[in-house]
Amino acid sequence: MLTRISHRSKILCNAYSTVSRPLDPWNSLISSDTRINQYGDRILSGTTYIAKDNIVTKDGVTTSASHMLSNYHSPFNATVIELLADNGSSLIGKSNLDEFGMGSSTTNTYYGPTINPQDNDEKRISGGSSGGSAAAVAAGLATFSLGTDTGGSIRLPASYCGVIGLKPTYGRISRWGVVPYAQTLDTVGIIGKDVDVIEKVYETLNKYDKKDPTSMTTKVRSLVRNTFDEKLIIGIPEEFIIEELDESTKEQWLHYINGLKSLGHDFKVVSIPSIKKSLSTYYTLATAEAASNLSRYDGVRYGFTEDEIQPSASDLITSNRSDSLGLEVQRRIILGNYTLSSVSGDHYLRATKVRQELVNEFNDVFKLPHVLLEDIEKVKSNKCDLLISPTSMGKPPTIKEYTENNDKNFLNSYLNDILTVPSSLAGLPSISVPMKDGSGLQLMSQYGDDELLFRITRQLLTL
Amino acid sequence: MVVLKRLFHSSSNLLLASKHTFQLDPNYKFKCGIEIHTQLKTKYKLFSLSKTSFNESPNTNISYFDIGLPGSQPKLNPEALLLALKAAVALDCDISLQSKFDRKHYFYPDQPLGYQITQFYHPLAKEGRLELDKKFDDIRQDSKIIGIEQIQIEQDTGKLNYNKVDNIINIDYNRSNTPLIELVTKPDFEDLLQVRAFVKKYQSLVRHLNICTGDLETGAIRVDVNISVNGFPRIEIKNLSSHSEIQDALKYEYTRQVSLIKQGKQNEIVQETRGWDGDKTTSLRLKENSVEYRYLPDAELPMVNLDESIINDVKQSLSEFPEQILSKLINQPFNLELKYARFFIDNPVVLQYYYDLYDIVTIKNKESVNMVNNWLLHELIGVFTKLDLKLDLDRIPASKLGDLIMFITSKQISTTSARLLLMQMIENKDNFDKSVSELIELYDLGVPTDISPQEFDEAVEEICHGIISDNADVVEKIKHGQKKSIKYLVGLAMRETQGKVNAKTFEDKLQEIINTL
Repeated sequence: MLTRISHRSKILCNAYSTVSRPLDPWNSLISSDTRINQYGDRILSGTTYIAKDNIVTKDGVTTSASHMLSNYHSPFNATVIELLADNGSSLIGKSNLDEFGMGSSTTNTYYGPTINPQDNDEKRISGGSSGGSAAAVAAGLATFSLGTDTGGSIRLPASYCGVIGLKPTYGRISRWGVVPYAQTLDTVGIIGKDVDVIEKVYETLNKYDKKDPTSMTTKVRSLVRNTFDEKLIIGIPEEFIIEELDESTKEQWLHYINGLKSLGHDFKVVSIPSIKKSLSTYYTLATAEAASNLSRYDGVRYGFTEDEIQPSASDLITSNRSDSLGLEVQRRIILGNYTLSSVSGDHYLRATKVRQELVNEFNDVFKLPHVLLEDIEKVKSNKCDLLISPTSMGKPPTIKEYTENNDKNFLNSYLNDILTVPSSLAGLPSISVPMKDGSGLQLMSQYGDDELLFRITRQLLTL
Repeated sequence: MVVLKRLFHSSSNLLLASKHTFQLDPNYKFKCGIEIHTQLKTKYKLFSLSKTSFNESPNTNISYFDIGLPGSQPKLNPEALLLALKAAVALDCDISLQSKFDRKHYFYPDQPLGYQITQFYHPLAKEGRLELDKKFDDIRQDSKIIGIEQIQIEQDTGKLNYNKVDNIINIDYNRSNTPLIELVTKPDFEDLLQVRAFVKKYQSLVRHLNICTGDLETGAIRVDVNISVNGFPRIEIKNLSSHSEIQDALKYEYTRQVSLIKQGKQNEIVQETRGWDGDKTTSLRLKENSVEYRYLPDAELPMVNLDESIINDVKQSLSEFPEQILSKLINQPFNLELKYARFFIDNPVVLQYYYDLYDIVTIKNKESVNMVNNWLLHELIGVFTKLDLKLDLDRIPASKLGDLIMFITSKQISTTSARLLLMQMIENKDNFDKSVSELIELYDLGVPTDISPQEFDEAVEEICHGIISDNADVVEKIKHGQKKSIKYLVGLAMRETQGKVNAKTFEDKLQEIINTL
């Protein structure tokens, strides 16, 4: 039984509990469990994990950090939860997030912000939206955690909290049971300190799921190719060399580039012009999809509902939503509904076209073919095996700085996403690896070439 | 199950009556198009594996996706696609080999996702037609083609049940996510008969192809109409659930609009949606207040990609169309009345039974098709009506009814006795397993065969004499020219002999004796 720890006084202890309830001064968890997995001989036996609270579990509540779902009990488990249970891992908690995944700070949450465990002196943000998952792993509460990444929601908090965060190729890991934010972009990913653990968990979850209509099919899985070359050509997209990057982050980036050079890899600067349009494209698509996906939260069948009798069904729905969805969520719903309304023109369609251009431009810089787009025998020599960039502009701001900045103009908090959104739009596998200054380094590879990321992460960790 | 009333209570008198009171004014041109929502008869729902259900306890057939639980995802049921394709092919549509699903957003408690999954941008089929033909359809023109704009697949909603006593709305999601097709016609209807004929023909078609139960009363088919007069803005009337509602609402709305035009108030005719309350239409929503549906391509459901060969495959799979069968049934050798032929079209099981019976009686035994028509349509169905039972042909297989007919034609049982026996065969479950000859024996209904023709003749004569002497007054009438009164005496003789003797035999003998008096 998962128990809310931070916000509900009652804590249930199981007779056969073998782990103690994790101490969580960082507010990284929304609820926790004390039971351990009964399988002792499976590939993940002995590991514990924390799932982002937008992944449904039969035990306890699945809140998506929203007042709307604060009482929601799912009758079923997400596929990823089932797979991890079958493979011996123990779910010991559900982590805090930006409500429904909307944010990059884990401050937009009904349960209060998650504090970054990296810095005990100043209260810094953990990044988001999987801030609770990154913070919990950084604080050593579990072996690994699951997060979701729509536009950087795993990579950014991993980068801020000094841990590794993997966003796999879109469709590799089942989304059945994942509360959707923008499902053309949503992916489930893994956060951990140890790349071997992340790879093992990835192998466990990397399965076709017939329940998820967007799951990568068995056929596509058999067609995708991996990079096996020892010496790689690594591209530096010039659109990522931006003014807003902290000096220390730029220096660290260069440090790791030089390190990889010393290991024998070649580097080249490449151009992906549509990256410049990717932020507006992302916010057009993601908010439109979110407005649609969140329409079901009307408090009629489940979730928050007003105590007072309302004069009509539509009054009930209106007040249920207005009173239980957070400010940022309401903002994105309104933005999305504007995009979809007939008065706004065809923004959604145009954003989809820019996205297509971006996909093609990314594809042009990679050596391996994109199995969904072209002849799978086609290998473009002289092109890149991997792309590299920072994950964030720099170190995480303090909660105070972040909130003030956001209050001035909410668009400020959207800007950081420029580094992570492009590979989300293109559905490419990406990983964030901690750099020494407290920010992260992002590696991106061709569609389906997830395994290359583990190999190069291991090399980075030696530098 | 088959509703027999339809056969025996024709509504044509009512229709005639209303024809007299309502007429279109040639100076005010009636223009109408309709939209039909049709529930597909699939085993499972459109995007989930819960069963489609009708009349079951509320919220017993729902799965996670049907009620929009967080993290649940849709999966297209191919059976729904197949049934939709059948309808599209039967209506001569251009099938789109690539179609897609879109989300149509609006908030309502019966809409669990906050949107309906439908096909807005790329529907399954476009540009079809259904031809009405005076031979089969009740229209004034010889023929009339109604164009079909498009056919799309979409989800049904849940149902709100208003409890007015406690002021509570109960929501039943059993219907949620049931597959529908929406069909939109072109504004081709020129009068009310055409509307009625089209809906009837469409009902018959979807029933016959086993796409839908075809019933308006249960909501399996729901009709919206659009009407405009003399090119003024069109008015939509939503959710009409019977033929008479469709007719009445159209008549009311036509009259209302004509009268506004006549009074020079045509500017009061504005594009709007109206509802029908049984007496009049009332405004539900003006166009400027129309719902902003915020259509969005559904990003989870993959595009439906069809192989070109599927159109032909579906065409092949369709049995004969209702019109072809009707045409066959009303001509030689069947010679059925159109209304009975229609009844067969709407009840494929009965049609098959009819063919089987025809095969036994007329093809194999060379007896008249009139026996088949009469004994199935009048005698057998009549028995079910008399017993107030639903037509259940399992009680008497075609082979058994065929046997009974052969006993009649070979004069081993009189028609009267056969009628009695048929009643027993259907009413009494103990008789289901017994053969016709066993039953004749059991009820002692056979024409007497164990006596010589001479003895038989004497017995008949004796009975006739008795009846004549007991009914001198009737005999007098007959002698004075009331020839039909002899039927009364025949009836008495039949009663006395429990129908074992042919009525004709008695009639002849009685006449013979009376002639000698």
